[in-house]
Formats: sequence, C-alpha cells, structure tokens
Amino acid sequence: MLASLWNYLGVLPFFAFIIAFLIFPATNLFAGAFQDAKGNFTLVNIQGLFSPYILKAYRTSLEVSLITSVSGGVLGFFVAYAITMGAAPRWVRSSLLTFSGLAANFGGVPLAFAFIATMGRTGFVTAILKSICYSAADASQVCPFDPYKAGFSLYSTVGLAVTYTYFQFPLMVLVITPAIEGLKREWREAAENLGASAWQYWWLIGFPVLLPSILGATLLLFGSAFGAYATAQALTGGSILLVTIVIGQQIRGDVLGDTNLGYALALGMVVVMAFCIALYALLDRRASRWLRR
Amino acid sequence: MAFLEISGVTKHFGPDAGAAVDDFSLSIERGEFISFLGPSGCGKTTTLRVVAGFEQASAGSVHINGVDVSSVPANRRNVGMVFQAYALFPNMTVAENVGFGLRVAGQPAALIQARVAVMLELIRLPDYARRYPHQLSGGQQQRVALARALAVQPQLLLLDEPLSALDAKIRIELRSEIRRIQQELKLTTIYVTHDQEEALSLSDRIVVMNMGRIEQVGTPFEIYNYPRTAFTASFVGHLNLLPVQVTDAATGACTFEGTPLASSQPAPNKQAGSARLAIRPEELVLNGTGANRLSGRVLSVNFLGNVVRLRVRVGAVELSVDMFNERKLVLPAVDAQVVLSFPAHACWLMD
Repeated sequence: MLASLWNYLGVLPFFAFIIAFLIFPATNLFAGAFQDAKGNFTLVNIQGLFSPYILKAYRTSLEVSLITSVSGGVLGFFVAYAITMGAAPRWVRSSLLTFSGLAANFGGVPLAFAFIATMGRTGFVTAILKSICYSAADASQVCPFDPYKAGFSLYSTVGLAVTYTYFQFPLMVLVITPAIEGLKREWREAAENLGASAWQYWWLIGFPVLLPSILGATLLLFGSAFGAYATAQALTGGSILLVTIVIGQQIRGDVLGDTNLGYALALGMVVVMAFCIALYALLDRRASRWLRR
Repeated sequence: MAFLEISGVTKHFGPDAGAAVDDFSLSIERGEFISFLGPSGCGKTTTLRVVAGFEQASAGSVHINGVDVSSVPANRRNVGMVFQAYALFPNMTVAENVGFGLRVAGQPAALIQARVAVMLELIRLPDYARRYPHQLSGGQQQRVALARALAVQPQLLLLDEPLSALDAKIRIELRSEIRRIQQELKLTTIYVTHDQEEALSLSDRIVVMNMGRIEQVGTPFEIYNYPRTAFTASFVGHLNLLPVQVTDAATGACTFEGTPLASSQPAPNKQAGSARLAIRPEELVLNGTGANRLSGRVLSVNFLGNVVRLRVRVGAVELSVDMFNERKLVLPAVDAQVVLSFPAHACWLMD
C-alpha cells in the first residue's frame, strides 16, 4: 500500500499546483462575481453582463472565435489531408508539422507585431499589393489590389480573424493529422472494391470516422480563440472589444475599473465554454456512437 | 480463353526498382480455387492487387470473362476482395457493412435487406446484423468481410491472406468455411497465402511464387510430391537433403558417404558428380524394408500429437523422420542406433 502510494508521489506537485492556481482562483472568481467592492453579496455584476456594451463584447468574441475555428479548422484539415493522404513529399510533411508546432504556440504580442509589419497600413505586403498599378484609359492610375482601399483593415474583426487563423490552422493540423493517419488504407480500398466512388468513400466512411476528431479539434480551436487576449490587445490597442479585453479593462485597476464586474465577465466566459463543451459532448455522442456500443 | 486470363503481367514500383512481379501468366477456369503461395515479398499480393485493379501493371494484361480489364478502375471491376487486416468499416453495423456494395450501387433498401439476410445466413452469423465491428472477434470480422465481398455477387473472389491475423484454431475452422462457401457458390477464387498448409488444403491448383516469378503451377498433390524446383521442394513441406555423389546419371544411382542409394529419376543435369538427394520426412521408415538403408543415431524425439518427429544423425547430416502416432507406438530412445529405410521412388536428385 505504502509502496504503491510512493509510486504515485509524482502527481502531488500537480495537485498542489491545480489547487493553488485553478481551484482556489476559480472559487475566488465565482465568489467575487457575486460581491460588490466591499465584499457584500450582490447581483449587480451579473446584471451588468446584460448591458449592451458587454453583450456586444460577447458577440464579437463569439463571432471571432467561431469564424476562426471554422476557417482555421477547414484550412488545417486540408493541409493535414495533403501531408497524409495526399502523399506530399517527406520534407514538405516534416517541415509543415514543425511549422505547425511552432505557429500553434505563436501568439500574443510577437504575432500582432508580425501582422502589423506585413499586413498593417504600412506593412510590406500591403505596400507590394498597393504598388501593383496600371494606367486606365483616362490616364489615371488604377491600383486594384490595394487592400485598405478595398475595405480591408487589419485593425478590424476581419483583420483579427486573419491574425488568429495564423495559430488556429496549425493547431488543427497538429490535432487532426494523427486522426487522418488513423484512416486505414484498407477501408478505402474495400470501398473502392465494392464499387464506391472516392466521394462515396469520404461521405460514408472517411468523414464519419473522422467526425469525432473534427468536432473535438474545432472545440479546441474555439477555446483557444475565445480565450486569446494579448494578440487582440496588441493588434488593435483595445479598440475591438472582446470579452477578454473588457475583462482586462476592468481589472487593470484604472479609475474606470470594476474588479467584480471583471469576475462576472470571466464567469460568463466559463459559462459559454461550459455550454460549448456540453454541445460538443452531445454531438460527439452521436458522431461516435459506433465506438461506444 | 479461360475465365480469368493473366498474361505477361509485370510490375515495377518505380523506374529503378526490380520487378515485384515478373512476366506472370496464368489461365484460371471458372469456379476454380487457386492459391498463390510464396514467402513475403514474392509478388503474390502484388499480382492479386493487379487483378483487383489497385495496382496498374507495368506490362501485360488481365482478362476477366473475355473482357480486358487492364484499364478498368477498381470500383468497376466487380471483383470481391477480402483483406488481411479486418477492413470492415468501423462506423457501420454488420448489416451496413454487408450491404455497402449494394447501397453505393443504388439498390432499393428492401433488396439490400433481403440480400444481407441471405449473406449473414451464409456465413452463419444471422444474429449479428446490428453489431459494430469492434464488438466482433477477429474470426467473425473476417466472416463479415467475406459476406460483404460476396454480397455484390462478384465475378471473382480475391482473398489476401485472410486468415493470417487469426488464432490457429479459428484459422482452420474458417478455412473450411471459405472452401464450403466457394464450392456452394461455384465462385472463381484466388487465395494469397504464405501458409503452405492453407494452400494445400484449400486449392484446386497452387501457384508457387518466388521473387516475382512463378516457380510451379499444379494440384496440391503434384506440388507436394513432384516439386519441379528446389525452391518449391523446400518451401512446401519439410525436406531432407543428403549431399550425394551421382554414380549413374541416367538411372539416378548415387552414393552417400560410401553407401549406395537408388533413386527413380535421372539426375537433373544428366551427369555424374555431386548433387543433393531429396526425401520427405514421412518417407523415411524406422527399421523398415525399403531398398535404401542408412544407419544413424537418434538425437531427439518430439511428440507433436498426431505425428512424432525424430532427428537422426546419419554421417555428417541430420535427418528429420516423421511417423504417425498410434497408441502402441514404441518410441526409440535418444542415442539409440536406428536404421532408416526408404524406397527408390520416394527420393529424387536435385542440383
């Protein structure tokens, strides 16, 4: 008994860490959401969540997370498909996987800076696109690829989505590649042998088999976008109101801040994530019922 | 033209690679059960995959029922295939798996249902329709895979080492099942295996392959008793080889360490000199009356159940001797001196 306990000793720091930095703060946060600045019980903070300003922040956050988890997911899926089933050369595969490992963890201020330097108003990619011009019939200069004239702005929701995609799709590649590799060649050949077209194979076997993994990966992507803060803050200087940015404003301690409202906002995020996880669990139950029965 | 005509099929994987299959030609009659037998890498699976349409032959052609299918894609060949690893679709029930081919062909649901029921009856798993593959044993999965391949009524059935992932007992059970179903449906079948016992017990004819080439084609009886090449002789069954000096190439007479021995066939290269005398373990008789006699010392006695296998040292070589078990059998002791005898017709000379 003692000997086996000794073998489990390694998990002790883990639990200590979790208690100190997850359980304790989460309890604190939960309690704080229902307290005013003096520590008295109140529902004002929760009420505050339903002000138009904060509801808009939730909407923007959800929008950006949804768009980037789907766009990053689709993009990442096809990249993963290309390097597995598509029989891309070995070096393409290994360099893409290495890149994904890096890029999936590349966020925050450096990422924001990188995008400002490339796609910002004076970024060099913007400059190159701007310089592609020709003379129209009336001798005026036409520059059809100027992104900012075409309505694009890096400092908008769209710009934010593009920036997030940079770490979203590599994350998808990392998560989904093993799943695609798990598709057996024999399934494909058996389907073909029985008269199925490639499309029928994917619709009836490939996609359904991958669906639980795709759902899980999309949830992961959603979570990583929903919780992102530094990238958006550095990119837009807080001009796009995401929930995380509003929380930052509340707890940074300037005059306008209301720490307890910040707690309530965070609680709201927990609720949103809990809802997403519940939805995932429900979909996954359906998608992978053949695994469980 | 035979029902299945494989003519001069050659397959190279890549421009610099050697031939995985080298000039393979074979005619298979309707309803025949043919085994491709050989060690791994001998090209048997590649040949099968060329017939199935999963590989494009570098040269040669495949005709099924008079139609050249060489450029017909795999999903239009109407050839059933059973794979080595259980290739059942994991997200579908047994019934859905079996009905898959009919479903993608756009058959009405009622017809599919009826056909699935017939198939499950055929493989003797009628109560398993609603199970998922992971709820089945390996043997059951392979039965379902067989049913799935047969449901579309293929003109040809291809089996790629279907039993090699199974336990010995299930293997024997399922192999007679495969033969029963094949006979029942009178289905032209190609069976790829590296297991000689499977090939011998199942086939109408066996194609022994080595290094991409056909070594010999024949009935199991011919392949085992009259191997034409050294490879076939040693790959199929156990073989004792005695280094001998040929004294009369025309009659096949020779000597082993001074002892004269008679064989029934002339030496293969028609000249005297050193050669090897081949003899199956079951042809050697302990203290028998055969024309050829060799004395030796028993090294080991292995009781295998129905057979007892002895190792006997004769001069510089060790010979295997198999005898049938019976209750009154008296096993020789280790180190006992014995005389082995065998008739002239049981042995043959090889280079």
